[in-house]
Formats: sequence, C-alpha cells, structure tokens
Amino acid sequence: MSWLYLGIAVIFEVAVGLFASKANGFMRLWWTIATLVSGAIATFFLSLALLTFDIGVGYAIWTSVAGVGIVIVGALFLDQRLNWKKALGILIVIGGVVGLQLSGAA
Amino acid sequence: MTVSPTKNDSKNAGPWLVLLLAGAFEVGYALSVGGSEGFTVLGWSISAFVFFLLTLFCLSVALKAIDVGIGYAVWAGIGAVGAALLGPVFFHESLTQVRAVWLAVIIGGVVWLKLADSPKLEAQKATAESGATPAPEWSP
Repeated sequence: MSWLYLGIAVIFEVAVGLFASKANGFMRLWWTIATLVSGAIATFFLSLALLTFDIGVGYAIWTSVAGVGIVIVGALFLDQRLNWKKALGILIVIGGVVGLQLSGAA
Repeated sequence: MTVSPTKNDSKNAGPWLVLLLAGAFEVGYALSVGGSEGFTVLGWSISAFVFFLLTLFCLSVALKAIDVGIGYAVWAGIGAVGAALLGPVFFHESLTQVRAVWLAVIIGGVVWLKLADSPKLEAQKATAESGATPAPEWSP
C-alpha cells in the first residue's frame, strides 16, 4: 500500500513540475493554481507513504522518480529530446530505487 | 579564444542564497510532511504547509536568475540529502550504511538528470562544439 501511495504522490509531483513550468514564475494564475493543487495532493499522498517509509528514503524516491517522470513526459509529449545523458540519469535513479528495495534498506 | 559576450548572469550571489534557502525550506517541508503522520498531527501539518509555500516561492525567485536545470539539481540535492541526514535526528529512523549508499545513488541520479536537462549547459556545449559564435537557433 505504501508503494501505491508513493506512486500516486509521484504522479502528482510530475504534474507539479509540468504545471510550474507553465506558470512562468507564478505570473499566470490558472497554472499557478494547478501547480498548488497538484502539490497539495502530492504532499498528502507522500505523507501517507511516509507513515511506512522513513522520511529520507520515501522523500528521495519520491522526488527522484518524479524527476524521471518529468523527463519522460517531456520526451513523449512535449517535444523535448531524450539524449543519452538523460537516459543514463533515468537508469541510475531506477537502479538506485531497485537496489534500495532489493537490499531491504527501503 | 574569444570571451563569450554574456558572463554577468549568475555572478550575483543573491539568487544563489535564495536557492540555498529554498533547499533548506525543502528539507523542512520533507521533515514536516513525515512528522505530520498523514496530516493527523496539527503542528507538523501547519509547518508542512508553510514550508511548502516558502520553498516554492524561493525556488521560483531563484530560478528567475539561475538556469532551471542547475537550480533544480542543487535544490533537489539539498532537499534529499538533508531529509536523509536529518530524518534520524528528528524521528526514530536510522541511516544504515547500505541505505546511505543506495540513497546516494538515487540522489546522484536525479542531480545528474536535472543537470542533463539544463538549457544553459546544453547551449554552452553547443557553442564549444561549433567553435565559432553561438548560432541563433530559430526555424523559419
């Protein structure tokens, strides 16, 4: 269940990243509101995940996997290029999360 | 060897201080969200809300002067490292060696990823590769 909560929190944090870039330094009202609402939902589900995960672990996984999600959504839908550097970063993050889980340290 | 024309940006320390502040607030946010126990503890919940607004505000101010990729990398790095180090200080948590190693991998990965997404670093590289003056990049 805690992984599900963390997954939902990640999805809304990806939305935060995308909306925030549209909000243009919070000068555009509706994108700003969308950013804040998504951030609130992400925060709530993160807090549910952190009932199980330790803070350092849950937070690191959350923010990093959201970073991966933002790059992937950007490449799929926003015409941003996915070069080898980004691909390597994605692999490192995923490798780290899998390693953390398999080692039983999560 | 030509000197690139615009070097005055990011010389100013102000935006970097605001960025460091945003990182510190992000640590406060992470700890508060954890401490709120699913937003059932009032004090930590209020603190989480306040830090949430502070970190967003400071980050948005800092990113007006600092390249987005570099700014996010520093901010995310501070937040994640701070949360990992201070979690055990404030709560009943432990940072074992195995855990520290894997967290370092994850955090290193996301910092690398944010840097790879930096428009400024990409532009510098493109300029260095083309050798000559930075060619304007527009399509008809």
